[in-house]
Amino acid sequence: MAPCSFWGKLVTVAGFEADDTLEQDAQLVQQCLQGDGSAWEELVRRHTRRIFNICYRFTGNGTEAEDLSQEVFLRVYKTIGSYRSAYGGFATWMTSVTRNLLIDHYRRTKRDRITDSLEDSMPVVENKESAGRRPDQQLLLGELSSQVQTALTKLSPELREAVILRDLQQLEYNEIRKVLDVPEGTVKSRINRGRIELARILQQMGVRPS
Amino acid sequence: MTWTCENIEARLSDYLDGLLSPDERHEFDLHANSCEDCAQMVASISQMVSGLHSMLQIETPPRLVYSILNQTLGPREAKKGWRGAFGWLSGLASPRFAYSAVSVAATLLILLTASGFSWRKPKLADLSPATVYRNANSKAHLAYAHTTKFVSDLRVVYEIQSRLNKDNELPTTPESTVPQSAPGKTPGSTDGTRPATPRQQNRANGLGKELEILATEVPVVSGQMCGRLLGRRTP
Repeated sequence: MAPCSFWGKLVTVAGFEADDTLEQDAQLVQQCLQGDGSAWEELVRRHTRRIFNICYRFTGNGTEAEDLSQEVFLRVYKTIGSYRSAYGGFATWMTSVTRNLLIDHYRRTKRDRITDSLEDSMPVVENKESAGRRPDQQLLLGELSSQVQTALTKLSPELREAVILRDLQQLEYNEIRKVLDVPEGTVKSRINRGRIELARILQQMGVRPS
Repeated sequence: MTWTCENIEARLSDYLDGLLSPDERHEFDLHANSCEDCAQMVASISQMVSGLHSMLQIETPPRLVYSILNQTLGPREAKKGWRGAFGWLSGLASPRFAYSAVSVAATLLILLTASGFSWRKPKLADLSPATVYRNANSKAHLAYAHTTKFVSDLRVVYEIQSRLNKDNELPTTPESTVPQSAPGKTPGSTDGTRPATPRQQNRANGLGKELEILATEVPVVSGQMCGRLLGRRTP
């Protein structure tokens, strides 16, 4: 059985709470609080993609993800004065705002939701990281991405958000704990259950990720 | 403690994320290697996690950032004052624009010079279309005439050279051409002041006449050249 020590390292590298990022974000937030519009613009540019990806993975719908991303930034803009660095990095705080908004949205649209088919969703474009892959690999990854997205939307919101934050956004456990505002044991439990449930759904769909 | 299938399922993510202690990992491996169901589950979820990790990020719609900025900062306002008036100048500093500007300037320079514009004494009248056309026409004709003359001169020079080469190929000194014979054996002069044979004498006379004709026909350059050549041959 292959040991997964590399996984932890990879997560640490890919996590968004690098020291320089924290400092830059903190500086930009300070400038924003002093009324610097360009600092806010920079913050928006730095975090839009991540927030949009969280929203898209959670909702499985491009249009909804776009609307929710706008809503997230609007809320952050209004409440940025309440952000305290003691809470954690700005990105963690922003992710927390996003998560709360996503849960609100989920509850609000629970009745309206009939199907979670992706057929009606806005087409999305894979990013530049796909440039180095062969066309057949891109096709397989694109297909897998679509199937995983479908499976994700079948998870309960608690498990879904845990898996998204851990495996797609590659956050550390303590960061997820801050975002979800639950004990670390609960985070671990949700991630574990989320993964097992997702694997089961994928198996039912006949998908074998490799 | 011997781990059960329930333990494996409960600690699976800890195992995958490297959060188990060495002892726990050992126990985990021990059970997973002996239980087919657990081994299959661990392999399946491990592959899925790897797959999730390699999933591509979704590209953000281009309008999203602008929509957010418009909603938060308000619609973009045009800059006022001198910054607004001269703000477009910052775009001129780009290398692409500078390269294009230099290319255009060089083209204009060439065209103006070709149309006869005097850079030492520039006049506005020189830029009028009629003057530009007249000057360009004159320049074009002059250029054509110069080219024609140059080609003609070259032709003359080559002609002369080829004839001289042809002449050089023929034996000119009687000592080297005429076989030595005993004096007094052959009738006629053998003192070397005259060509050895009448045929050679005729050829030399003919070449000199041709060069004289060419020198009179071609006015300046070729004439001088022919004269010089003739002078060299007939000191």
